[in-house]
Amino acid sequence: MLVASGTFGFGEEYAELVDISRLGGICTKAVTLAPRAGNPQPRIWETPAGMLNAIGWQNPGLEVFLEEKLPTLRQYEVPIIVNVAGETRAEYVELAARLDNVAAISALELNISCPNVEHGGLQFGVAPDLTEDLVGAVRQVTDHVLITKLSPNVTDVSAIAQAAVAGGSDALSLINTLVGMAIDVEGRRPALANITGGLSGPAIRPVAVRMTWQVAEAVDVPIIGMGGITTAEDALQFIMAGASAVAVGTANFVEPTAALSVIDGLIEYCRHHNVARITDLTGAAHSGRQ
Amino acid sequence: MLTTQAELTRREQVAPEHYLLTFVCPPIAEQAQPGQFVHLRVTKGLEPLLRRPFSVMNVNLSQGSFQLLIQAVGQGTQILAQAQAGAVFDLLGPVGQPFPLPDGAEQVLLVAGGVGVAPLIFVAERLKEQPAPCYVQGLFGAQTEDYLCCWLEFSTRCDEFATATEDGSAGEKGLVTDLLDKQLDRGGVDRVYACGPVAMLAEVARQCQEQQVPCWVSVEQRMACGVGACLGCVIPTRCEGSQHYQRVCREGPVFAAAQIDWEAMSPELDRC
Ligand SMILES: Cc1cc2nc3c(=O)[nH]c(=O)nc-3n(C[C@H](O)[C@H](O)[C@H](O)COP(=O)(O)OP(=O)(O)OC[C@H]3O[C@@H](n4cnc5c(N)ncnc54)[C@H](O)[C@@H]3O)c2cc1C
Ligand SMILES: Cc1cc2nc3c(=O)[nH]c(=O)nc-3n(C[C@H](O)[C@H](O)[C@H](O)COP(=O)(O)O)c2cc1C
Ligand code: FES
Repeated sequence: MLVASGTFGFGEEYAELVDISRLGGICTKAVTLAPRAGNPQPRIWETPAGMLNAIGWQNPGLEVFLEEKLPTLRQYEVPIIVNVAGETRAEYVELAARLDNVAAISALELNISCPNVEHGGLQFGVAPDLTEDLVGAVRQVTDHVLITKLSPNVTDVSAIAQAAVAGGSDALSLINTLVGMAIDVEGRRPALANITGGLSGPAIRPVAVRMTWQVAEAVDVPIIGMGGITTAEDALQFIMAGASAVAVGTANFVEPTAALSVIDGLIEYCRHHNVARITDLTGAAHSGRQ
Repeated sequence: MLTTQAELTRREQVAPEHYLLTFVCPPIAEQAQPGQFVHLRVTKGLEPLLRRPFSVMNVNLSQGSFQLLIQAVGQGTQILAQAQAGAVFDLLGPVGQPFPLPDGAEQVLLVAGGVGVAPLIFVAERLKEQPAPCYVQGLFGAQTEDYLCCWLEFSTRCDEFATATEDGSAGEKGLVTDLLDKQLDRGGVDRVYACGPVAMLAEVARQCQEQQVPCWVSVEQRMACGVGACLGCVIPTRCEGSQHYQRVCREGPVFAAAQIDWEAMSPELDRC
């Protein structure tokens, strides 16, 4: 049970409210090489059972992350998964290389749903060849467990998943947010300053479960499933669709202890159904299909 | 800050679309400082999904209660406006940085616009309770007399009090910032605290800077997490000449007016 990147800050924000040590790990907010200011306001907009966000990678940069954020994160004694983002292939490679000898972190999560400036703004994560090339380049400079985070804004998520695995990804996480948009009808303009934003929350869950199912059929590496999980039943849907782990994102905003409630609910489910380990249920729906 | 539950014990309409809600919740009553807010879940369901932030208007320590003044503007506030006594809400609080109250007896000027009066009522109360009570001047502006919500709660806590309405139905005809201009000209004001629409706050900040009176404002922004994690609620601030964003829920909602980059603040959130 993880908390999803960008929805749990660097842990410290929730430390007062949540027994973080019960989590299976924290995916950090995206870390970039240089500090990033992020997008202008408005950055968020609520939608039915969800929200749009265009935060724009606001983060203090790699150096401050290593010097200030990481020491705090380590105190919680849970695996730390660093979400890394860049605008160019070289930025990803440099980030991964500089994080390679940092023993305190458990894994890197490659955020490939970012614009690739070298390819005219096209996202790395929407083209299989770019994905494989990027993952491969990062793979060469790191011994950390490498997780590739897939974008749902693609025609064929399985092809991207296969490309990431071919590039050397140890695991996959999905889904990132769906590109969406809202109009402020009083102001007669886009609701977000960035015009479009990423849709998250319960509204996207069926899409996320579907993609988890498809990716599980296409690859053999572990999958971290996410997208709108708020309850244990939601988490079970991802697990049965093929996820070995799950992450809670937007639900943290609604209820800081959401991930802990999901854990409690999963334990309860296992007890009630005599399941020895939750991972025994991974992919269960594939064999149970009619 | 803690996650807790609060029971609504009283709901009273105080103006068109404005409601005064009383909640029993001893930990919030004990811990809340003027300027801090609660981040409240209006429903257990998914509609609306996100919590809603509201400034604490005052606390009653003996009853373990606190009050919120709410303007019904949309789905979430509409639900609160119709809630029945006995309803229980999840809340997170107290959240954010309070107004930095002076140590000694100062002359403090409070400038309230509309529903922005809420945190200033709490401020006025604490300023009068100090070992060395402050001299408190209150200025309150609204569209019309009807919208001077809780003006009695405000005025009774002030040593001097004046109102301005846009239509002249109560007090001076015009804006509350016209009153401020005159007060500052008179001199003697040690500090100013303000809460209200962005345009009003920007004008308060401008006047205070011109007169070199320290000023703090409480600002609003759309929020998701309320704890500093999502970075959704930031406002543009200036620090040593360079612009950067600060979180309203963590570094705010109270900011030194001089810190805010007023030109970059969007008036998009203004309702009044
Ligand atoms: C620190 C702080 C203190 C506040 N104190 C008070 C108070 O004491 N009394 C009061 O009536 N209101 C207060 N507000 C504003 C109040 O939070 C919004 O009016 C409310 O969230 C609107 O919700 P809604 O569902 O009715 O409106 P909708 O329009 O349906 O809301 C849609 C989204 O926009 C957000 N939103 C809309 N308007 C605002 C706004 N002005 N500020 C922040 N978010 C907004 C909502 O939270 C929600 O995410 C405060 C806001 C902040 C940030
Ligand atoms: C405010 C916000 C910020 C996010 N920031 C990041 C980020 O920095 N990197 C990333 O890979 N995903 C980011 N995400 C996506 C989430 O990690 C997650 O993939 C997505 O929100 C779907 O899960 P959910 O519906 O449970 O929130 C962010 C999501 C939100 C809502
Ligand atoms: S509301 Fe999430 S950072 Fe302020």
